[in-house]
Amino acid sequence: MLTTLIMLLFAQTGTLDGKAVFEKRCTGCHALDAQRVGPKLRGVYGRKAGAIAGFPYSDELKTSGRIWDAATLDKWLADPETLIPGNDMAFRMQSAGERAAVIEFLKLSEQH
Amino acid sequence: MSKLIRHNHSADGIDRRGFLECMAWAGTGVIWTVSGGILSSTTVSGKTIAPGGLHFVQISDSHIGFNKPANPDVNGTLQAAVDQINSLPVEPEFLIHTGDLTHMARANEFDTMDQILQGLKQKQIFTVPGEHDTASDDGKLYRERYGKNTKGDGWYSFDHKGIHFVGLVNVVKLEGLGKLGAAQLAWLADDLKARTSSTPIVLFAHIPLWTVSADWGWGTSDAEQALALLRRFSSVTVLNGHIHQVMQKIEGNVAFHTAMSTAFPQPKPGSAPAPGPMKVPDDRLRKLLGISEVHSVSTRSPLAVIDSPLVKE
Repeated sequence: MLTTLIMLLFAQTGTLDGKAVFEKRCTGCHALDAQRVGPKLRGVYGRKAGAIAGFPYSDELKTSGRIWDAATLDKWLADPETLIPGNDMAFRMQSAGERAAVIEFLKLSEQH
Repeated sequence: MSKLIRHNHSADGIDRRGFLECMAWAGTGVIWTVSGGILSSTTVSGKTIAPGGLHFVQISDSHIGFNKPANPDVNGTLQAAVDQINSLPVEPEFLIHTGDLTHMARANEFDTMDQILQGLKQKQIFTVPGEHDTASDDGKLYRERYGKNTKGDGWYSFDHKGIHFVGLVNVVKLEGLGKLGAAQLAWLADDLKARTSSTPIVLFAHIPLWTVSADWGWGTSDAEQALALLRRFSSVTVLNGHIHQVMQKIEGNVAFHTAMSTAFPQPKPGSAPAPGPMKVPDDRLRKLLGISEVHSVSTRSPLAVIDSPLVKE
């Protein structure tokens, strides 16, 4: 519990605010709990790519076999096309700091 | 065709009956006028535009760089829009592009956009960015290309034929919905301060400045603060894109209009599990893409908008 609290505080008060980065960079296409242009993202950390039932993922993503952890999410956010060619996500996050912050936010999203 | 819609403003600001009527008419070529709070429409052709009045064209959501099944040839459909504009019986005085010029804000996508728009007879183009133009770099490259003489994230205003035009940016500070932000709202208040209430106002921005669907993020969280600044004006027209379909709403002195995309359609709110590029049969695609002609009716009513698909039904 204490560890979770410390991690949440870190995500929100560290160098970059993961929630603010998520809202600014991601909410044009995503929400935590609703399907938009992109799938809902609460609990995405640790999940298999393309696992939300009913969301129209690209075949490339669905068959990628990727598991979303810190390493795969970092590569994905930096350049989705490099990690999974042919996928549908039209976005890239250039700042490593922003990627780390938003990955931490997503990791903790299950507990928000 | 002629219809009247009497408006009741429900708490959420959406005129549901008007909304449904407008959806039914989308893409048929409709002129909208307002008099005494009653909205009327008739089908028209571009030839009915009176000489001497204001006349410009809005295009939107070109998504240059998109290459998925919903439209693997967005360059071709933008070119078709350019051809359609060039063939209008009355040449527009300028163009407004309401954002998502590109899909990924890459330099080569902006280059392609520029090359295709070079084919327009009318070279004067005003733009605002969409979130696809800004998400990756906060709009830095967009502003290098299109942001000359703009302020902040790329907002600006200009005057033409006695009408005051304001281009707003609601895609850089997203919070689920679009957002204008305090700095831009302060600038808007200052910008409007010197205008008389009889000055017709045209506001254009990417994400709708009215809540089309909160569930799908199709609205702007602080739009009401901008609209409050506009209440004293007798004629306000708001032009948006983002939702890739025609929707119209009249609320008091304000006429809201969203344009078709030149790239791909999106589903109507609630008709699909989620928004996003909608694949339609190949022979349907160009009937769901198109341009909007905008022209003045009188100085005391919002401007009239004619939506024309690339290929008519």
